This record gives sequence, structure tokens and C-alpha cells, in this order.
Amino acid sequence: MSLRSNKIFAGAAALATIVAVVGCGTDNSSTNNTMNTASNTSAGSGNASTSGPVKLAESGSSLLYPLFNDQWVSAYQSVDSNVQLTAASTGSGTGISQAIAGTVDIGASDAYLADAQMQQSPGMLNIPVAVSAQQIMYNLPGIKDHLKLSGDVIAKIYEGKIQYWDDSAIAALNPGVSLPHHEIIPVTRSDSSGDTFLFTQFLTDTNSDWKNGPGYNTTVSWPSVSDEIGAKGNDGVVDALSKNQYSIGYVGISWLDKATQEGLGYASLENKDGKFVLPTTANIKAAATEGSQNVPKDERISLIDEPGANSYPIINFEYLIVKQTQPSADKATALKNFLNWAIDPSKGNSSKYLTPVNFLPLPSNVEPLSQAQIDSIKAGQ
Amino acid sequence: MRRVSSASKAADRVFKVATGICASSPVLFLLAIGIIVIVQSIPTIHYMGWHFISTIQWNMGSLYGSMIHKNGVSVPSGASYGALVFIVGTVASSVLALIIAIPVSILTAMILAYRVRGPIGFVLSILVEILAGIPSVVVGLWGILVLAPWVSHQFGPFLRSVFGFIPFLGGSTGSGYGLLTSGIVLAMMIVPIITATARDLFRQVPLLAREGGLGLGMTTWETVRYICLPFIKDGLVGAIALGWGRAMGETMAVLMVSGNAINILPHNIYSPISTMAAFIANQLDSAQTDATGMAVHALSEMALVLLVITLFTNLLARFLVNRTTRRRSVKAGANG
Repeated sequence: MSLRSNKIFAGAAALATIVAVVGCGTDNSSTNNTMNTASNTSAGSGNASTSGPVKLAESGSSLLYPLFNDQWVSAYQSVDSNVQLTAASTGSGTGISQAIAGTVDIGASDAYLADAQMQQSPGMLNIPVAVSAQQIMYNLPGIKDHLKLSGDVIAKIYEGKIQYWDDSAIAALNPGVSLPHHEIIPVTRSDSSGDTFLFTQFLTDTNSDWKNGPGYNTTVSWPSVSDEIGAKGNDGVVDALSKNQYSIGYVGISWLDKATQEGLGYASLENKDGKFVLPTTANIKAAATEGSQNVPKDERISLIDEPGANSYPIINFEYLIVKQTQPSADKATALKNFLNWAIDPSKGNSSKYLTPVNFLPLPSNVEPLSQAQIDSIKAGQ
Repeated sequence: MRRVSSASKAADRVFKVATGICASSPVLFLLAIGIIVIVQSIPTIHYMGWHFISTIQWNMGSLYGSMIHKNGVSVPSGASYGALVFIVGTVASSVLALIIAIPVSILTAMILAYRVRGPIGFVLSILVEILAGIPSVVVGLWGILVLAPWVSHQFGPFLRSVFGFIPFLGGSTGSGYGLLTSGIVLAMMIVPIITATARDLFRQVPLLAREGGLGLGMTTWETVRYICLPFIKDGLVGAIALGWGRAMGETMAVLMVSGNAINILPHNIYSPISTMAAFIANQLDSAQTDATGMAVHALSEMALVLLVITLFTNLLARFLVNRTTRRRSVKAGANG
């Protein structure tokens, strides 16, 4: 009898311990926050600079990760040694949801928040920090010049409506090019990706069936095409393209050099003005400058298919997602200072940091809008 | 009688609590995971019902568009969660892996247990165990760089030309990313598990029984077939069930070579597929940007289906083991 009650006691004790541990786990973040606040305010507070050491945690987009990890983290250390910036590559969706939940201070994302998300979590700011682009690549042996393609034709390929490379729609765009009579193998990104967001937004803007069908997002419900390959990451897509002749896919601009070394070609795309353009720095800049004229106050905007003879059609803003209301005055100050530094063309937004990771600086007329958003960050509950 | 000091009493109490915590943690973890997966799945179960496992259209809907209300839940417009493609992909690739792995494992195990002695046996055993320890992402990389091109250019066309008349073995051999490559990669990963268990089982067969067989003039093959295999059958079924479970839950290697098909069922053994585990890993990040949260619920329900299928195969294996032992004891009773 006593043995039995002992056993029950031990079991109950075990349960109680685990419940207690779990309880602590859920409380952890708030405890940490209050501790930070306490230590920071006790050291006195100032407006222009932070008093004590402050941690700023970033997580999210794998495309933005090299900018943070290789460039900004070390550079910002010398700007303000009080602020400890940490970066993590978790994917845009995770970055956004962690920023909304408050587990990180900065969520890095290739896509701005959707209307529904903005309604659900008011007080989230979308601050552009760089311009990125993407090219359409293909493995077509024997074709040396850049193939001319339009968003409409690419959408039809991914819908399975255009099945062969020598389809009349492709031939019409490329007079004089001898196209092979081979089935097209479309390659997609299987993992959640900002590249998919850009690509599907381009198809949505240029093909009405795509707009009413798969639409755009970081992953979409691809129409069924029997030999389509879903590959993981830009490296996976480049692999799948180079291993499969007659394939087509979309690849982030930072992979352009590596992919062309693998023997892949990239397309000259038809822009809104009907001109065929390549993803050169000048053409990306031209598109960004056009797009920056229509940026709304909250800066959530697609830069796909901008007008202008030289505008390259697939570009976007890379965003930092932050909370307008920060848990402490010190955190708010540190975050504001960092964001101001990051968008300043003579500081964080200089090509010194952006070029090595294949981003372009923000167009100059976007800065006042970002400035207004950053100024609205405040401390409070 | 020894006087028990208070220190040792306290130590005993700590021991009891510590063992209590440790012993109950597997059950609690299982409960916690099970409950969370079930609770998270409820909204999708309301929304999709049985269509979740019977339709092939997977669409998170327009996350940047408007929300609609249906069956008491709100979802992005156009959302449809049909997991049949992923269920078929998971079952087909794991069964294909078993078809390849079972003969390879059993024969390897037999050689290791009976045929090789001394340093060669030792080295072979170590190699099998090292194979089990290769991280799945490395196997996946090998799959992309070596296996997929080989399947696409050599093995696939060969299979088609020899066995093309059999359904699912003919037709387009595709790109090398697909069911066949996934099955081979999975087989590589479960061979060590089944081999190691089967080797230990073979060693448990009494020497007297084996020698008796050889004494009766049986060949080595006959000894294995009529004496050893019946003896270890129960354990072997368990080992295979273990390998099957591993094959169904494997994520990374399959994700890299499966072709990640969506909205389309495989039409032959070379077609791209997608498994439940790989699909969850692929989509979770995007799912978190769904303001209604329904996409995450749908992935939870897929995790639930995966759990249920794994549990079901485990129970099936146990049932098979029980049935054979019962039959044998009945036979023994009749003889006695």
C-alpha cells in the first residue's frame, strides 16, 4: 500500500515539475523583456542614443541574410557598440510571424505583408531597405543569344498550355532563331521563397488566367504539368536546370554568374513598353526609379512590370518588418537609429554593403517615406 | 537492520522523482505532440471533411486577396486542401523502398551472420553501421548529383525497354527527379536499419538447428529458407516495420530528389512525386503568412494523417507478428 502511494506521489511530482517547467517556458519572453527594461531604465535614458547595451534580433529571408550577417552586423558594431545585432536565416514567413509575435525585433522579408495580415496585426511597419531582381533562365543547347520571352508566354508554359520550345508563341517573339521541337520542363521552387513571390507576381500582372488561377505568394498552387520539377533553393533550381536540357526556371539575381557558368542562358524579357530588356544594373535602376514614384505611405507596393523603355520587369523591394510600438524606450531608440542608418545612402544603404550581396540601393525618393515610418516608432505597451 | 540515514532517504526521494520525470517524459511528449496536432487540425477538418484525403487540389488560396467564410471557419478565397497527392507519394515511395531494401538487407544480414568471419566481417558490419549514420541531406545531395542523372539517362530507359509492358514501368522516363529516385534513396537509408536488426536475429538461430539442416543434406539456401527465416520471421517483420516507418517520415533526402509534384498524381514510376513530410517542410514558412491561420492548420492535419498512417503500419506489423506466433502455438498444441 505504502509502495503504491509512493509511486503515485513520484508520478504526481514528475507531472508537477514538468508543468512548472512548461509554465516557465511560456512566460520566458515577457520575463526577459521586463528584465531588459529594468536594466536599461536604471542606467538612465536618452533620446538620441541608447544608454545601456541593447539587443536587436533579426530573422527571416534567406536572401537578406548575407546582407545582415556578412555586412551590416559587423559594420553596425563600429557605429554603435551598445547595440548588439544578431541575424538568422529562417525564411520570410517565419521572420514575419516572429516579428508580429515579438520574439524578434526585425523580420526580414522578400514580400510585404498582405492586407489581411495588416488588419490582423495593425501597427506593423514595412520598411524597404534594398532592391532585388530575378532572371528567367533556361537550358537550351545551341542557343547563344538571349531568348526573348514575355510574361504571358511564360505563364502559358507554367500552365502547360505551351508544351514545346518551337511553339508558335515563342517563335513569334524570336524570329530567325531555330527552336528545338522538345518538350519544355518547367522548374519551380518547392520551398517557400521570395523568388516565387516575384515570379508569380510577374505572371499575375501579365496573364489574366494566372491572375484568376494560382495568383501570387511565396508558394503557390502550381498548375499540373506532368514533368515539372520542384527544386529546393536557388542552388537546387540551378542544379535542376543544368542537369535537364530543355528546362526553364526562375533564379535570383545573386545566382546569375554561377548559373551562366553552368551553361544556362537567361531571357530578355518584354516590359510594359513592349521593349525586351536584360537584368542589367541600369535596367533594374530604371525600373526602381519608375516604381518609386507611386510608393504609398505604408510603402507596401509591387515593383513588377513598371513602365519605361529600359525598365526590367521583375524587381522588388526587400523589406524589414518591425513593430511600431516597442517594449521600451531604449529598444525603440536603438531600432530607429539602426533603421535610419540602414536606409541612408551614405551609410548602410551604400553600394559598399549592397553590391557584394547583389542588391541595389533604394531610389532616392523613397527615403522620406521610410523616414516618416521610422519616426513613428515609439515605446509603449 | 541497517539504520537509514536522512541523507540516503533524501537521495532516494530525488531518485524516485528523477526516474518519475524521465520515465513519464516519452508518454508526455507523445501526448503533447498528439494533442497539439489534433487541436491544430480541427479547423481544417471542419472546412475540408473527408475531401482532405480524397482530393488532389492543394491551394492555400489568395493570401493577398479577400477572406471567405465557409463551414464556420474563415479561409483565404480559393483555398482548397487536398492531400491525396502527398499521401500517395509517401506510401508509394516507401513501399518501393521496401521492395528494394528487403532482399538486399536480408541477404546482406545473412552473409554478415553466417558467411564472413574475422576482420572482413568486422569491417563489413562497421560499414553497414556507418551507412546508417550518413546525414540524410548528404544522401539527398548524392541523389541529385549522381542518382537522378543516372536514373534519367541510363536506368530509367533500361527499365522501360525491358519491363515497359508492365503498367507504371512504361511511358516517359522524365527528368530523374521522381518516384524511382526517391525509392532508391529511401532504400539506401533503411537498408542499414533492417540489415543490422536482421543480422542480430540470424545470429540467434540455434546452431544445432542449422547444423541439423546441413546434416540432412540441405544446401545453404535451403537451410536459410526452411530453418532460419521461419525462426526469425516475427523479428524480421518488426525490423521491416521499423524501416517502413523511417522511410515514410524521411524528409530532407526525398525533398531534394522527389521533384516535389503538386496537384498531380504520378502516372508512372518515373513521375515526380511529393511526400507529406517533405511538403510540410516546404510549405510551413509560407503557411505562416496566412492571416486566417488555415494553411498552418492544414499542414497540421497532414502531420496528423502521417502520424495515423505510421501508427497503422506499426499496428499492422504487430498484428502480422501476433498472428504467426498464435498459429505456431496452436500447431504445437495440436502436436502435443
